Amino acid sequence: MSILAYNGGAVVGMKGNGCVAIASDKRFGIQLQTIGLDFDKIFEVGPKIYMGIPGLATDTQTVNQRMKFRTNLYELKENRPVSPKVLSAMISNLLYEHRFGPYFVEPIVVGLDGNNEPYISTFDSIGCVSEPEDFVAAGTCDDQLFGMCEALWKPNMNPDELFEAVSQALVNACDRDAISGWGAKVYVIEKDKVTIRNLRTRMD
Amino acid sequence: MALSMMESNNRLIYNDAGQGPVQHQFSPYTDNGGSIVAIGGPGFAIIASDTRLTSGFAIYTREQGKLHSLTNAAVLGASGCWCDVLSLTRLIQARMKLYKHEHQKDMSAAALAQMLSTMLYGRRFFPYYVSNVIAGLDEEGNGVVYSYDPVGHCDKNMYHAGGSSGALLQPLLDSQIGLKNMAIKPTAPLTVEKALQITKDVFTSAAERDIKCGDGVIIRIITKDGIREETFKLRFD
Amino acid sequence: MNSEGGVRSFDSFATSLPKGERRNPITHTQAPVTTGTSIIAFEYDGGILMAADMLGSYGSLARYRSVPRLLKVNDKTVIGCMGDYADFQYLQAIIEQMEVDEACKDDGFQTTARSLHSWLTRVLYNKRCKFDPLWTTFVVAGLDQDKPFLGFVDKLGTAYTDPIITTGYASMLATPLIRKAVEDKLKDKNEKLTLAEARKVIEDSLTLMYYRDARASNKYQIAIIPSNGEASIIEEPKTLLGDWSVAHLIK
Repeated sequence: MSILAYNGGAVVGMKGNGCVAIASDKRFGIQLQTIGLDFDKIFEVGPKIYMGIPGLATDTQTVNQRMKFRTNLYELKENRPVSPKVLSAMISNLLYEHRFGPYFVEPIVVGLDGNNEPYISTFDSIGCVSEPEDFVAAGTCDDQLFGMCEALWKPNMNPDELFEAVSQALVNACDRDAISGWGAKVYVIEKDKVTIRNLRTRMD
Repeated sequence: MALSMMESNNRLIYNDAGQGPVQHQFSPYTDNGGSIVAIGGPGFAIIASDTRLTSGFAIYTREQGKLHSLTNAAVLGASGCWCDVLSLTRLIQARMKLYKHEHQKDMSAAALAQMLSTMLYGRRFFPYYVSNVIAGLDEEGNGVVYSYDPVGHCDKNMYHAGGSSGALLQPLLDSQIGLKNMAIKPTAPLTVEKALQITKDVFTSAAERDIKCGDGVIIRIITKDGIREETFKLRFD
Repeated sequence: MNSEGGVRSFDSFATSLPKGERRNPITHTQAPVTTGTSIIAFEYDGGILMAADMLGSYGSLARYRSVPRLLKVNDKTVIGCMGDYADFQYLQAIIEQMEVDEACKDDGFQTTARSLHSWLTRVLYNKRCKFDPLWTTFVVAGLDQDKPFLGFVDKLGTAYTDPIITTGYASMLATPLIRKAVEDKLKDKNEKLTLAEARKVIEDSLTLMYYRDARASNKYQIAIIPSNGEASIIEEPKTLLGDWSVAHLIK
């Protein structure tokens, strides 16, 4: 099995009207054995910027720490916060620096930019960026997530609709993947608040 | 390596000049794509397949349905390695004729389901590389769906998505037909119209993301009055 | 190989066995040897047109420059073969014998394209199941109850029918050309291609294959299977020249 699927897990992000959402499962496992049920794959980069890093768990944490280092340095040097677009460029750079010995992760970025416009992006493990206008999905059940998102996503959803769509997409997708699930965490980001909800899911 | 040279015993060896024959490895299997969705409900069953036949990035034809009507109460959807699909379905047709001559009646959906399982397991060590779904009516006239793995494991469901877009479609059916993860569940029983609408929606979604799925959908609706067919266009790029 | 002989010479072991007990390993076709490239075929207004060039390649060597890859099975059926030429000749002998047997019955019946297509499907599938494939792809063109029939079968037994069938590089290079011609005519006049138009398209396709497919040559044959009851024909070989007016740019 692919090293990307060693620990299992999935992340999904969606654009709404003046809001974005990101959600992930909470499982940490070693192949088919489940070890933990509170493993974070989504990290806060700024007040309105989050990144989700599914893949090999050790690289999830390493990439997060390396990005923390780089974003801190950026903010000290530039004396301004990173925007989602800048964060995407930085992740892409970090990943491509390891072109021939990559981190086994497929990160996604969601956030609101300086004008509070929704932004999402997704990467492969060596830093190829894509900035779609609807949704992003990555992880061991990305096929399932794409199928769900393709049907549930519609333009200009309000925060409540967005929460419902992203949650249903994630939970139903994870239920058809043996190595994702065991709880889920959903972030809905609006211009003046971030709502974090923990979902109860099937625990098998 | 194409342009590199190696020197040994003062003789230049050009690695690109045939140092031996290039070996083709013969594989008896190929993946020709194809997706199947089947839904059973009270008094009806529907089964649908896309109409694209592929080989790698090539589209062989845009008009190859993957449904095989077996009896008035059962339709088989089969996709995967197309040469195995052709052989398996012919064998099923032959076995059904033998059954009919021996028992003076058509095979029931349950009998077909069991027969397919044993036929698939008969090739346990050189399997038919086929994703099979049977949709039909049970003894009471209600819809049933049987789904298989390539070596004959059989599962009886109310709905199933198989083939190349199986992973994309199955969670959608879980949500929309199985009503999984819903706080307030609708109480009205599933109707043909609703099932048809969901089938069309899920195929449209799959065609967006699965390159092996597209061109069109053939839907067969099985009721006690017989089998009705509908077609539906998908993106054909 | 080993000039000292003896110890490491494995073939001396095989020859030391009594003649009847000499056990040779079972050999399977693992790769094609002398090969033909693409086949192009499609329906036109009054039947089917099929074309193939006449090159038998030996790896990258253009070894046999005038081998027919189209076979007229009977007045209503023509087949074309891509892939191993020896396997084609093997099946050709069998098919021709079947036609003789059929003709001897003198019952007015002849093999239809649909039944030959189905038969090829079974032959090729059975060979693939023995891991000893006939390394070929066939295109079967003909009439089935006066309606055009065009079918494809490959070495695995994968089979389908379609109004346009191309194999090999032609499926990438020629298909778009043919589809455009067919669809444009349908859009403009709501008609199918005439024989003359179809011939132009197939000759353009062959020219393109000659330019871009390194295993294609400029000598080709065209088969016509008319649906008006006339006998199908494979035309005499023709040679296309192509347009080399850009050649002065190459020094």
